[in-house]
Amino acid sequence: MPVPRVEFIESRLPNGLRLIIAEDHLAPVAAVNIWYAVGSKHEQPGKTGFAHLFEHVMFQGSAHVGKAEHIALIQAAGGTMNGTTWLDRTNYFETMPSHQLELALWLEADRMGTLLAALSQENLDNQRDVVKNEKRWSYDNRPYGSWVEKVLNSVFPETHPYHHPTIGSMADLDAASLEDVQAFFRLHYAPNNAVMSVVGDVEPERVQGWVEKYFGAIPATPALPAPLPDMTLPATIGGEIRTVVPDRVPLPRIYWAFRSPLFGDPRLDALDLTGQILAGGKGSRLHRRLVRERRLAQDVALFSMGLVAGASVTAGWATARPGVELARLEAAFWEELERMTREPVSADELDRARALTEADELGALQRVDERADRLSMYATLFDDPDLINRMLARYLAVTAEDIRAVCADVFRDDNRVVLTYVPAEGRAEAPGSEEAAA
Amino acid sequence: MSGPIDPGSFGGVVIADRPRHADPRPYSFPAFERHELPNGLGVIPVHLPGRGLLSATLVIPGGAGEEPEAQAGVTALMARALTEGTRRHDAVELTEAAERLGATIHAEAGWDGISVGVDVPAGRLAPALGLAAEIIAEPTFPDAEVERLRDERLNDLLQAFADPRRRADDGFVETIYAPGSPYGRPSGGTRDTVAPLDAAACRALHGARFDPARMTLIVGGDLAGVDVVELAEASFGGLERARESIAAAPPSVAAAPGGRRVRVLHRPGSVQTEIRVGHVGLPRRIPDYHALSVMSAILGGLFNSRLNRRLREEKGYTYGAGAGFELRRAAGPFAARAAVNTEVTVPATVDIIGALQAMRDGPVSDDELHAARDYLVGVFPLRFETPAAVVGAIAGLIVHDLPFDELDRYRPSIEAVGRDEVLAAAQAHVRPDDAAIVLVGDADAFLPALEAAALGPIVVDREPLPAAPSAPGEEPSHD
Repeated sequence: MPVPRVEFIESRLPNGLRLIIAEDHLAPVAAVNIWYAVGSKHEQPGKTGFAHLFEHVMFQGSAHVGKAEHIALIQAAGGTMNGTTWLDRTNYFETMPSHQLELALWLEADRMGTLLAALSQENLDNQRDVVKNEKRWSYDNRPYGSWVEKVLNSVFPETHPYHHPTIGSMADLDAASLEDVQAFFRLHYAPNNAVMSVVGDVEPERVQGWVEKYFGAIPATPALPAPLPDMTLPATIGGEIRTVVPDRVPLPRIYWAFRSPLFGDPRLDALDLTGQILAGGKGSRLHRRLVRERRLAQDVALFSMGLVAGASVTAGWATARPGVELARLEAAFWEELERMTREPVSADELDRARALTEADELGALQRVDERADRLSMYATLFDDPDLINRMLARYLAVTAEDIRAVCADVFRDDNRVVLTYVPAEGRAEAPGSEEAAA
Repeated sequence: MSGPIDPGSFGGVVIADRPRHADPRPYSFPAFERHELPNGLGVIPVHLPGRGLLSATLVIPGGAGEEPEAQAGVTALMARALTEGTRRHDAVELTEAAERLGATIHAEAGWDGISVGVDVPAGRLAPALGLAAEIIAEPTFPDAEVERLRDERLNDLLQAFADPRRRADDGFVETIYAPGSPYGRPSGGTRDTVAPLDAAACRALHGARFDPARMTLIVGGDLAGVDVVELAEASFGGLERARESIAAAPPSVAAAPGGRRVRVLHRPGSVQTEIRVGHVGLPRRIPDYHALSVMSAILGGLFNSRLNRRLREEKGYTYGAGAGFELRRAAGPFAARAAVNTEVTVPATVDIIGALQAMRDGPVSDDELHAARDYLVGVFPLRFETPAAVVGAIAGLIVHDLPFDELDRYRPSIEAVGRDEVLAAAQAHVRPDDAAIVLVGDADAFLPALEAAALGPIVVDREPLPAAPSAPGEEPSHD
């Protein structure tokens, strides 16, 4: 069975809200997914973590919805929901039993239109505390938890909008004021800065009617934020950045990170297949060589995080087995990456990577929430929601030479960050408190 | 409950009236029935039109819970080693053969069962089932690969000890179960029990457990034009019944004595404390399962559960707090959990105990009852959107020996739960006076307050992190 085509219709309200509807009646469920074109890259110095803190505030009520009531109403309707913040965007989504879809649309409209009506110092302080505990839980009190921050700090220069992670710093979170939140809302949260996708067991004309009814009167912002200053970067880091990080870990782990081609560039598609060939399961090269044959590593990984300006990040790691000399582990990992830059992968390796990619696509797109997220993503980042139907063909068109060429561009010793986590037994200070030497 | 403003101040732009829902589209759990091959193997096809990524699982009831204590971890190890080679193919050849089909094959064992699963695009089911059958019927358990997997498990135990949340989970169950109860240890075994495991142990267990009469193959997805029973016969029909098959009875488990008590696993400098509060809970097969589900949702399942509302949305102590019963073939743990900033460890723990007590002290409100019931009933169709989820739910019926109409009865049974049943479930099954409180965090930062709170006798384990291998003492440098 081929990957089914996602048929959708697009429209734009007079206030600028872009609406994408895809009908599918296989299951009695419907997904809503709104992308706002604001991410941590829009944060100003001294205000890191703000886009994400704001995402939390979006669940604290609006003119007609009480604190935490958004989630209560969704759950009582049998739905699920969340929001996430990334460097390039913030999204909010619900999956509903299809007969409850209208409620989700109304809730999204109420907070897009009237969030500030319910904003209070008390709610902001509460969510600031929640977010600080999220940071402790996800980063500070987790073995190796600081690696994302250290990688971004090193791959991107200090003045670059991708230099800091979405969670931000404790000091900046502490400094966030009500006025900051209000200004952030006014600047970024408007129908003309959003894309909404509705996917599943829906009648498009009714969805269109509800969206016009609930969102139609929300005014566009006359002044969308000015485009960010040019984020272009050289294709490579221009050197090697090495950092040793003592942490509360029993096994050393080495992380590698590289600047890589932008999301949307077909060369990143080739790099995605590279991730499959190098580290996608038991048949992959790194697993086979480092884990199975040479027994240097406990586990390995390699993958790309697509970003739309400056550079993407391709990162990987290997956890050392006890007693393994780190220089040997590092050399063995590098040897496999270096080989990718010289020799084309075999036809069989490429065929296997394509077959798995096709199956992954088939699995991912069977879910209404994933389809809604991708439609909003491709519309927001590339003004091209139909990419949802063309990405698989792009992956299948990648050749062995494409892979070799992009690996040669990316896996260079003047384009790498090497973070080595080593056990720091009995350290009194918080783990992960070392500064990266970037 | 509206916000404190006049909507008119927004120019009347936003519609204040909440929409009413439409009539729900009828939904029932997909229909299925069991067929049986001559060798006793059960086959359950579930046709899900339009679902092109098929999911197949072969499940055997009984898992790590049923293994002897001295060999704890052998079931998980054996399951992982199934894909390490067969009489016809080594591990890499097997993986490559699956990948050429776009298939992923996984074998695993949990507390309640052993399973071998395949996800594969429709049209390639037959060869994928052939690979699964090979793994099940003729694994070779190569000595060197089993040793590697055993070592990886030992290394993983080092990692688990260092990770505060995994240490809290493991420390909690070892505190609440009596010695010898399987659920008091990790399902993958402990350092002492895993170290001596080898290929011979895997082979012996495989011989005892892989009897076709105890296996069920469940296949979900778009099965138009596919005769699953015929494919199953071709792949699995040759499996011979075991001469001495172990019908795994659920294990017997016992609670450690002690009443309410506190155990602190000291981590100097920890910025958060991982909190677990609870006791030995219940098995899956209980008469008040639906009342327990509603009660758990109100206490610690919903976003606006009592625990999350109090600890997160009112106090900001945590990113999330919850509670629940792990319902296994025998009585699994009941735990409330949260990770809180170190300074609020004691007040957060007191709040958790208070929330457990309040569930017993009086009935829930009508609003709470409706929120929980409506969520559990309403979200039911969302849970089964994919073949893997449908197949997983049926596998759950098999390992727990539940009737096949269990899922059809789920929503009416939840609807029928009232406030009295919720209170009865709480009073029968939530016992804060019996609860162990396990805290992984910086004891020096909260010990005086903990003593003052008088929650129960306190034991502090100032355990060292496990000995780490030596590492080169490099300094950061730039090239």
